[in-house]
Amino acid sequence: MKQRFISSAQIILQLVLAAVGLTGHSYPGKPQIIRCRSLEKETFSCWWKPGSDGGLPINYTLFYSKDSEEQIYECPDYLTSGPNSCYFDKNHTNPWTTYIITVMATNEIGSNSSDPQHVDVTSIVQPDAPVNLSLEANTSANMSYLWAQWSPPPLADVTSNSHVYHYELRIKPEENEGWETLSVGTQTHYEVTSLQAGVKYVVQVRCMLDLGEWSEWSSETRIQIPKGRSPPEKPTIVKCRSPEKETFTCWWKPASDGGLPTNHTLLYSKEGEEKVYECPDYKTAGPHSCYFDKKHTSFWTIYNITVRATNEMGSNVSDPHYVDVTYIVQPDPPVNITLELKKSINRKPYLVLTWSPPPLADVRSGWLTLEYELRLKPEEGEEWETIFVGQQTQCKMFSLNPGKRYIVQIHCKPDHHGLWSEWSPEMYIEIPTDFKVKDMVVWIIVGVLSSLICLIMSWTMILKGYRMMAFILPPVPGPKIKGIDTHLLETGKSEELLSALGCHGFPPTSDCEELLIEYLEVEDSEDQQLMPSHDTPSKSAKIILKETDSDSGRGSCDSPSLLPVKCRESRAPPSTLQTQDIRAAQENRRGKGSWETQCTASEQKTLPFISESTTSCTWLAAQLPCNQPAMFAYHSTVEAFKITLNTTNVNTSPVLVGNQENRQSLYPIAETVCDDMEMRSDMENSRTDPTTVQVRQNKHNDKSPLLNPKLMDYVEVHKVRQDEEPTLLLKHKENSGKTKKYTVPGTSKEYTKVSTVVDHHILVLLPDQRIQHTPVAPEPVMETSQNSQQSQAEKNTSYSTTAPSDPKRDTSGSDYMDPSSFMPSFK
Amino acid sequence: GLVLLVLLVSNMLLTKEGVTSLPICPNGSCQLSLEELFDRAVKLSHYIHFLSSEMFNEFDERYAQGRGFIAKAVNGCHTASLTTPEDKEQAQQIHHEDLLNLILGVLRSWNDPLIHLASEVQRIKEAPETILWKAVEIEEQNKRLLEGMEKIVGRVHSGEIGNDIYTPWDGLPSLQLADEDSRLFAFYNLLHCLRRDSHKIDNYLKVLRCRLIHDNNC
Repeated sequence: MKQRFISSAQIILQLVLAAVGLTGHSYPGKPQIIRCRSLEKETFSCWWKPGSDGGLPINYTLFYSKDSEEQIYECPDYLTSGPNSCYFDKNHTNPWTTYIITVMATNEIGSNSSDPQHVDVTSIVQPDAPVNLSLEANTSANMSYLWAQWSPPPLADVTSNSHVYHYELRIKPEENEGWETLSVGTQTHYEVTSLQAGVKYVVQVRCMLDLGEWSEWSSETRIQIPKGRSPPEKPTIVKCRSPEKETFTCWWKPASDGGLPTNHTLLYSKEGEEKVYECPDYKTAGPHSCYFDKKHTSFWTIYNITVRATNEMGSNVSDPHYVDVTYIVQPDPPVNITLELKKSINRKPYLVLTWSPPPLADVRSGWLTLEYELRLKPEEGEEWETIFVGQQTQCKMFSLNPGKRYIVQIHCKPDHHGLWSEWSPEMYIEIPTDFKVKDMVVWIIVGVLSSLICLIMSWTMILKGYRMMAFILPPVPGPKIKGIDTHLLETGKSEELLSALGCHGFPPTSDCEELLIEYLEVEDSEDQQLMPSHDTPSKSAKIILKETDSDSGRGSCDSPSLLPVKCRESRAPPSTLQTQDIRAAQENRRGKGSWETQCTASEQKTLPFISESTTSCTWLAAQLPCNQPAMFAYHSTVEAFKITLNTTNVNTSPVLVGNQENRQSLYPIAETVCDDMEMRSDMENSRTDPTTVQVRQNKHNDKSPLLNPKLMDYVEVHKVRQDEEPTLLLKHKENSGKTKKYTVPGTSKEYTKVSTVVDHHILVLLPDQRIQHTPVAPEPVMETSQNSQQSQAEKNTSYSTTAPSDPKRDTSGSDYMDPSSFMPSFK
Repeated sequence: GLVLLVLLVSNMLLTKEGVTSLPICPNGSCQLSLEELFDRAVKLSHYIHFLSSEMFNEFDERYAQGRGFIAKAVNGCHTASLTTPEDKEQAQQIHHEDLLNLILGVLRSWNDPLIHLASEVQRIKEAPETILWKAVEIEEQNKRLLEGMEKIVGRVHSGEIGNDIYTPWDGLPSLQLADEDSRLFAFYNLLHCLRRDSHKIDNYLKVLRCRLIHDNNC
């Protein structure tokens, strides 16, 4: 409360004072003591800042008292330290005393006092900066050094100038920021060493008494360190160039000249001569160069060229430069470039470019032969199109985009060695756009043609109705290749043969239509097959994978990618199945020899076909869009060391088990190659590096498309490289334990022919035609629905017991033909 | 089918058109014109020089890096004793018959070393196939060029052919040196000289063609 009262009273007072001030006069403002400072701790000075003067002349009085005495003294000397200051000389200064100092401002109206300031002389010591800094630079052989001298700060009392100062010096190159501070000691000179020659330095000094603070830095003093006087450094020969294969010039880059004027001389000797010559002409080609005129230029001769730099202190020679002028020809750019637009008979514009060789180059005599390269791009384009035109001096450019402005440049080069010239200056040409009439004609023709096609299409649609749609947009085709029955060829039923090849008549025959429907039925069955898979939950994952694998048409593509999954599963196969596996392996071992021979025999034939596309499944789908009469159950497995047969298909098991037991059945051919990379990575996953043999079971068409909807089984046969035994595996949809439910008597299959070996990893097997008719119902429901067909098919099926290596089989196997052999080569 | 047939027939017609005609034989004697001879010789010499430069570059990159062979190679080539034009003026002043004889001389001087080069180069450690192949190819093409040049000289010369110009080569032992560094240098030098001389021949032939066929207006 009290404080507030006081402060408000002060405000009122000030207001009053201000009011008075407005009328003209008032008390002086409160002065303020700014600082007290002793230069040498024997005297000291104090400075104050005046307050407002109140409009009247003010008198300032400094009073001080000493802590040991009661008495108040006035300032002894108001003049020595300048205005508004008080200087205490030696007699008035006592280092052991604390002074209490106030300044009072007085005018006519009244007076005002500053706050008191306590001063201890020893704590306010700060000398002035040193003065008269002078620098001197010196350079001896390799060292540059600096000699700095200065004087201690001047004092008011000259007689007392006997103090010992400590000095510091700081230095930096003029263009740098960071100072380097050097402690000097008490001397007033210093030598700075290890300076860079040719650099300008800035130097400052400051000083301090044994107590107190550092003085300010003295004013900056600059000095240029002269360059060292030393021998010049090694010059470098930059390049030599002959512009016309008649003269040449070499250029060099001088190194440091050692701070002295330096002379360069070029010396050369020629191959086979001992004599050393000096450059014949330093002037023609400009500074740091030597021009060899025609007289001094020989070809097919190596010049050994060096450049010597010399000054007072010594000389230094460049590394030798070996030059055969033949190889350093770099012509000037071509000249007289003309761009001309011409119109051909069909009114299409084309660009004619002509140019001349650079004027220096004498190409007429045949001494120099030039080759040209031109580049062009649309003005806004990013990338140049470069065209090598050989020795011609003209070029026609067709098919430029109308309406665009092109930039054209040309450069040239000797025919064998040498360098490309610079690019010629940019030339611009605008391709006109006024060729719309012809465009119109084209568009009219296109329009008429397309409307014609539409008419024909719609006409056919009306005639053939909805079925047409199915033909145009068939269901997603699978990799189902039906073998071609040579009986078809023999009987001359060309239509059927064509349909077997996937080339249906137009409009499509009812056969084809039937096939389509059947195909769709199988798709249904596929879905249903998922159901039994739930019966064996332990295998569910696997089964589902296989279902997707089979019949879908994606099989051959997808299966490789599924391989890792399968491989993982195959590491824990049911023990009961392992025994089967072993049997399988043994069985295959028996047939191995003959297999391999067949593989190699047929390898070459099929390779081109396989390599048609990276994913043959896609290829197949594209090639045989309507060739779906046969159904495929397609499986693929990668079976490594622990190959399992736990994948027996429920539906095909009767057949397959039989096959496994008598080891006679090899599945009919078809090929499947999927993305190799994928396959490889899968193999890596399985870590057993198996060689995969995929066998696709192909169903015999039996000449009647109605009987076609039998599933075909695809089987992959894998060869495990580790034991070098090929293992043929049939992949089935279900656990063999379930097979008995669906036993179909008398079914077994036989694979009699290895059609191809693809990529050294995949066997393609051909089945015997007569063994083909293994009915495979995709699942129980499907089986009942297809019973009649199957039984019919079974009747048609006969099984051979001949081993696959039997040569007879080969001939009979040829009844089935790999569709690939009918395909035209696309290479 | 019809379209195919049409295409086939038209294709056949086109092919027939493309068949190059046989050289025209005026006066019953089928001789290539001098121009044709020169064109072929220039093509051949261009090719030979292309091969020899490539071979030299390959060798240089593979075996000569950092060995300073270039400094030692200033001792000249075995054909150095044949005084050949060293600049344009000399090449233009020399009589064309003399220049032709010089070309023949250089070509003959290389017969022997090229045969040895083709066989010895196979002994270089890890010699790449490209170098081996080029050595054989150059040797073969050099013979062909020599034949062609003899034909040209026979046509141009009114009198006798200077058969005696020839420089023997005694560099075989150096290609068989036991010290690898010396042996590699011998190869380097030989390839360097081959590149140089094949370029000389190519250059002289181009000058001669312009002079004799195109009247110095190529």
